[in-house]
Amino acid sequence: MDGDCVSLLPRVCDVLAAPRSSLPDDTSLEKLLDWFTTFSKSGVSLLEVNPCLQGFISTVVSSRAAESSIISFALKLTGLVAAAEDGFRALQANSVLDLAFNPQHWREDGLWDDPCVRIGWIQGFSTMLQHRQAFSFFVQADSIKPLLQLQTDTSLFVASAASQMLAHVLMLSHPLLSGFNGKEVDDKSSSSSITGLMRPAVIEADQDVAAVVTEILEYLKTRMLPKESSQLHQSQQILKLLALILSQAGPSLRDKLLLFLREPLEELVALNYSQLTRPLMDVILAAYSSIRGDEKVPDPILCHLLSVMLNQRKPFDRIHAAAAFLCSGHDNQIHMAQSACILLLPMEIITGLTLLEGNSTVKEHRLLMMEQLQSKISCISMICISLKHIPKITLMAPDCRPCPPAVVVAAVLALLRLCRGLSPPSLNGCVAVFRNVTGSGKVQKCALEALSALSSSSEVSVMLVEVFTLLIEYLNHPDSDPTMLQKSYQALVQWIGVCSNLSSITNQLKEDLTQVVRKRACDMRWEVRDSTVEFLGHLAGLPACRTEVGGACNAAEYLLGGCCVTTPLLVEALHDPESYVRASAVSALAQTMTHSWQEGVVPTKEQAEIVTQLLEMLSQDTEGFARRAVLQYFITWFSSHPSCTSSPLLMQSVRSVLLQGSADLDWEVKVHTLDLAELLMDQAFLGQHGYTKGLESHPAQPHPYAATAKQAYTLTQRSDLLCALDGLVKQGLLSVLLSGLFDCDRPVGLKACRLLIRLKHVLLLKTQDESDAVKTDPRLYCELLSQGWAQEIRNVLGTEDRSNETDPHTVTVNVCNLVTSLDLEERLDVLTRSSDHFYNSPRSLLQDILTASAAHAQQDSQLKEEVIVDCY
Amino acid sequence: MPEIKVTPLGAGQDVGRSCILVSIGGKNIMLDCGMHMGYNDDRRFPDFSYVTQNGRLTDFLDCVIISHFHLDHCGALPYMSEMVGYDGPIYMTHPTKAICPILLEDFRKITVDKKGETNFFTSQMIKDCMKKVVPLNLHQTVQVDDELEIKAYYAGHVLGAAMVYIKVGSESVVYTGDYNMTPDRHLGAAWIDKCRPDILISESTYATTIRDSKRCRERDFLKKVHESIERGGKVLIPVFALGRAQELCILLETFWERMNLKAPIYFSTGMTEKANHYYKLFITWTNQKIRKTFVQRNMFEFKHIKAFDRSYADNPGPMVVFATPGMLHAGQSLQIFKKWAGNEKNMVIMPGYCVQGTIGHKILNGQRKLEMEGRATLDVKLQVEYMSFSAHADAKGIMQLIRMAEPRNMLLVHGEAAKMEFLKGKIEQEFSIDCYMPANGETVTVKTNPSVPVDMSVNLLKREMALGGPLPDPKKPRSMHGTLIMKESSLKLVSSEQALKELGLNEHQLRFTCRVPLQDPHSDSETLHRIYTHLKSLLKGYTIQHLPDGTVMVESIVIKVSSSAEDANAKILLLSWSYQDEDLGSFLSSVLKKGLPKM
Repeated sequence: MDGDCVSLLPRVCDVLAAPRSSLPDDTSLEKLLDWFTTFSKSGVSLLEVNPCLQGFISTVVSSRAAESSIISFALKLTGLVAAAEDGFRALQANSVLDLAFNPQHWREDGLWDDPCVRIGWIQGFSTMLQHRQAFSFFVQADSIKPLLQLQTDTSLFVASAASQMLAHVLMLSHPLLSGFNGKEVDDKSSSSSITGLMRPAVIEADQDVAAVVTEILEYLKTRMLPKESSQLHQSQQILKLLALILSQAGPSLRDKLLLFLREPLEELVALNYSQLTRPLMDVILAAYSSIRGDEKVPDPILCHLLSVMLNQRKPFDRIHAAAAFLCSGHDNQIHMAQSACILLLPMEIITGLTLLEGNSTVKEHRLLMMEQLQSKISCISMICISLKHIPKITLMAPDCRPCPPAVVVAAVLALLRLCRGLSPPSLNGCVAVFRNVTGSGKVQKCALEALSALSSSSEVSVMLVEVFTLLIEYLNHPDSDPTMLQKSYQALVQWIGVCSNLSSITNQLKEDLTQVVRKRACDMRWEVRDSTVEFLGHLAGLPACRTEVGGACNAAEYLLGGCCVTTPLLVEALHDPESYVRASAVSALAQTMTHSWQEGVVPTKEQAEIVTQLLEMLSQDTEGFARRAVLQYFITWFSSHPSCTSSPLLMQSVRSVLLQGSADLDWEVKVHTLDLAELLMDQAFLGQHGYTKGLESHPAQPHPYAATAKQAYTLTQRSDLLCALDGLVKQGLLSVLLSGLFDCDRPVGLKACRLLIRLKHVLLLKTQDESDAVKTDPRLYCELLSQGWAQEIRNVLGTEDRSNETDPHTVTVNVCNLVTSLDLEERLDVLTRSSDHFYNSPRSLLQDILTASAAHAQQDSQLKEEVIVDCY
Repeated sequence: MPEIKVTPLGAGQDVGRSCILVSIGGKNIMLDCGMHMGYNDDRRFPDFSYVTQNGRLTDFLDCVIISHFHLDHCGALPYMSEMVGYDGPIYMTHPTKAICPILLEDFRKITVDKKGETNFFTSQMIKDCMKKVVPLNLHQTVQVDDELEIKAYYAGHVLGAAMVYIKVGSESVVYTGDYNMTPDRHLGAAWIDKCRPDILISESTYATTIRDSKRCRERDFLKKVHESIERGGKVLIPVFALGRAQELCILLETFWERMNLKAPIYFSTGMTEKANHYYKLFITWTNQKIRKTFVQRNMFEFKHIKAFDRSYADNPGPMVVFATPGMLHAGQSLQIFKKWAGNEKNMVIMPGYCVQGTIGHKILNGQRKLEMEGRATLDVKLQVEYMSFSAHADAKGIMQLIRMAEPRNMLLVHGEAAKMEFLKGKIEQEFSIDCYMPANGETVTVKTNPSVPVDMSVNLLKREMALGGPLPDPKKPRSMHGTLIMKESSLKLVSSEQALKELGLNEHQLRFTCRVPLQDPHSDSETLHRIYTHLKSLLKGYTIQHLPDGTVMVESIVIKVSSSAEDANAKILLLSWSYQDEDLGSFLSSVLKKGLPKM
């Protein structure tokens, strides 16, 4: 712990313990506690280093005037201090613990009504339960009773914290439970609890501890069943707790819990309360999750519970249970198959397609399901759950799934058509249900998502044409909202991406797609235009596909007729009024061009015009998104081109990009400019001694005993290096790095600093043994202006620079001197740290607490304007 | 009884980050999704696991409504929609939708600048989130689904800020977000219909304050800037990209014009153009004065305010600079501050609140020595001024809004507990309504008594009129009898004959019977006669007959007597009546149970 902090802490404690203390803001106490927690985790005794804490806790706990937030903090701190045995003993000696953790004490002053005091009590207590004495204290104080009461507290936060602590207590004491053999400790429960605290090394078995365990279990057993519907909330809370315990318990505790709670659980399952379906499934799944690979047969109680849940009367609950079980991915084939059938049933009813041929269990449920589907709300809800899970069904083992994946795809397509009125309801389907889904945006979005996910199922490529046809219809439909259109595009990209053979797509379909993309590229809504442009980019980025003539072709080219359609649309989108669309257009153009760049094709006139437009955008676009995208375009171009120097257009553009990018006002544009500068450096220096590509900090040091032909190396490489440096300076790289170094945004400064260090290493290793003639080679000099960042550099360099003879405002500096004088390593050290590391430090926090208190006193005496916490 | 539940996950007795869950008529709505700038970890966002676990937000929530673009109201939105996973509809006004991404980007920049930040979203995520947003127009009722409708009202506060009226069936809630009841230089005052919601959820930042006129603060601000400029000093005003910055720009621009001042004013982020573009675009959202003068001169086309270049900071002479971010977290505002802090002629004006852990917070608290890199300290010699320009309703304004909306219950959020407590007392006293102030995580449940609209058949109405009753008057409720038919989602009250006809049902007569034991030492016929006499004396004005078939009839009620085989004195009375006479039948059975009067 920082010595300054230790010296500040007693005064801070006095401030906090004083009535009506004023805090800097509502986060201060939590941050202070974070600091104590970190400190305590390092293994040092809090009380030993900060004896003032004991006095603080004692004062607050016995004060009648302390504010509830301070009491809550003091309770949490008490737990932290008492988590160490010496702290516990010290606090116990003063009877502070008896007072702090006695709810009655807080009730007397009405403070218990404040949820933050109850939270403080739970968290403090929970933190303290690290050792035997603390646990004994918990048992002897009979704290289990208030804790159990808090489990159904009116505050969500209190109830949740109480549940977590109860689970923690049970995990700690489970080996001592009567009838539970101490040797039979579960691996899982002995590791760590949910609060991340270690279990006590040894807890001796005694009756009191067993009584605590019994009390928890009895509580679970007796309160689980609601006596009337108003008690459902309580049952929900109990089930949440049970699920939490089961998720942490090992097989032994799990089995015993299930055995002990079998009766109420079975009764509860039979009661068919819809509100309890989800929590009950959470309990079952939590128990399932603790089944280990070597346990061949799951617990019969569990199987029974699950069976009842999957055979509930109410279709709505049944479908929820099936969805939860399917999601859990357990290897229980019977129930998995059953869940799949339950989930497919609404789809079968509504589309009239046969998905569950000859399935007897489903027949029993069909009538009830049909009835439930008549209600619009539950119909939409059930269909959506079904759609969300059916992609998983198609991934099940063939002998387990109720029907082939292609049939499921057909059902989803049929549903989408029904929703849009694109086809009449099937005679087999239920017409009343059909009315419920017609026009439902929610169902259509879910169905489109399902369609996307179904693309990765096996044996579905036969459906490609049908999928294509429907999605084009969706893209064309005037009722499609922006989200639906986006999802339609996403589905289309997914299907094209997985279907390596697009030969089945007819020319008519291709024509339709082209038409609809053209139409949507000039939609009134920017969201639609953006999704269209993004689609074009994604399409261009897809791998080559097979065509009808057997050849391989780019999907965009094959489906949209290549650049003659895509590029003009994207170029048009560069002028879109919405910056997001302009940015997407630039990115999509880069994806479209990547192929030709990789092949090193000479740029066409059209491409050169695009470059001009992009450079114009970089200098004139008012929005950062578009300018960032331009930078990314050039980065992609530079990194995908096999030989950048052979493309004059690229190299020429890079110089302008560097110049404009480094002067940009957007920090991300500047960072991307430095990314581009890094690529330039890599290209120029790769292979040079001392230069390491992409290594962020220091280059690898050569082995001290390595034999290197230094002389020969220098002779052969020297001229290359100076040429490379000269080239980079002419490209403007040095200005980019130096201006970045003094930038006010930390990521920019950091990136520039790292690149300059790399430059420094390569230069210094080369020039250290060189003759003076080399050191004064004009190629090692650059010019600096007298404004802005250059002025800062001149200030750093002092008098060592020399004024330019022709322009008095410009100075010429030696690059080697420059990079050594800038003290880059120290700067890197600073930049690597967070920009707020001083102001967000514990010491700063302690100072702020003291200053806030002083300012508050001053405000009171001078009636200064109060700084009110409002908004930002 | 139906109920509305309100649970704040944020803004419950604090001003950290607004996020309020409302359950109304089976619909779940999230009001605002803000972030707390005071934390660097997950605690800055609301804990969505309390909404529903395992990322099932889309299944649980019917919609999310964002009141305005401030980060404590929308900062967690991309985190929720793109990282936790929410795919449902998000509603906000057009200006909020346009401006929100700018401020989210502003925040993203701060998080990147700080190291060790976790869970921050990318630009792509912000865009994808914004694509899910459905824009709202003022006073336009938007149907979220068949049952849930919402309507936005003007809230003042910042450009595009809205209050929202949420209605499901006959239950309703109004959420104010942040609002301002007095017009300022560029925005108007909040306004709402007399919509009488079941609950009005109102912010209460200035719950105990009656704020002085904003004009005074503006005068004070201009005076301070002017004095500093006059003595050759430089003035730094740290701001967030949008909002207060524009208000202060208008103020300075007008002042410079009037005083013919020459000192340059700069706006540092390059966002002036963009921000002003939005103010121009959404001119209808500004106040009347700006809208009126817009044709002659657009207030947002600044003559004196120029873009800032970092090299200008070293220029000699006075100047005023607006720089981001607003709390001197990092970036340009901090860099300029460091340069200027050592000169007592200079001044920094903090126009809003700063969270702990920022230089803004430190200097506002009066710290004059700031720790810098390399064990250096920065002596803060420049003048530090705090002037809150935030536009919130004060205590008077809140009461004014209650008078406007006439809610049945009041719920306070976005304020400090002690201040809320005071206002709660005042509201309960003045309006005689319940006022709640839940802490975060606590649920307030308000029972509602919804009125269900029912159509009535003309025949039934005519029949009622024929009976001579008064004409229907909405102010004088009265009871009507008929048969209620529920068909699809409509309710209709018709005569029973019409109901039978419409539903294609046959009429059946329903009779109730009951057996009453009676001790009477007479023959059966005498007992029957005694019953007849007794009832005749008891029930005046009813038709009571002693029929020759050994029964007594009172209206439709038939009474017979039989005696037990074992005990001739133990009589069993059989009563039977049609359902129309249910009341009279029950009455007679209870009378006869008491026995017959002695002779």
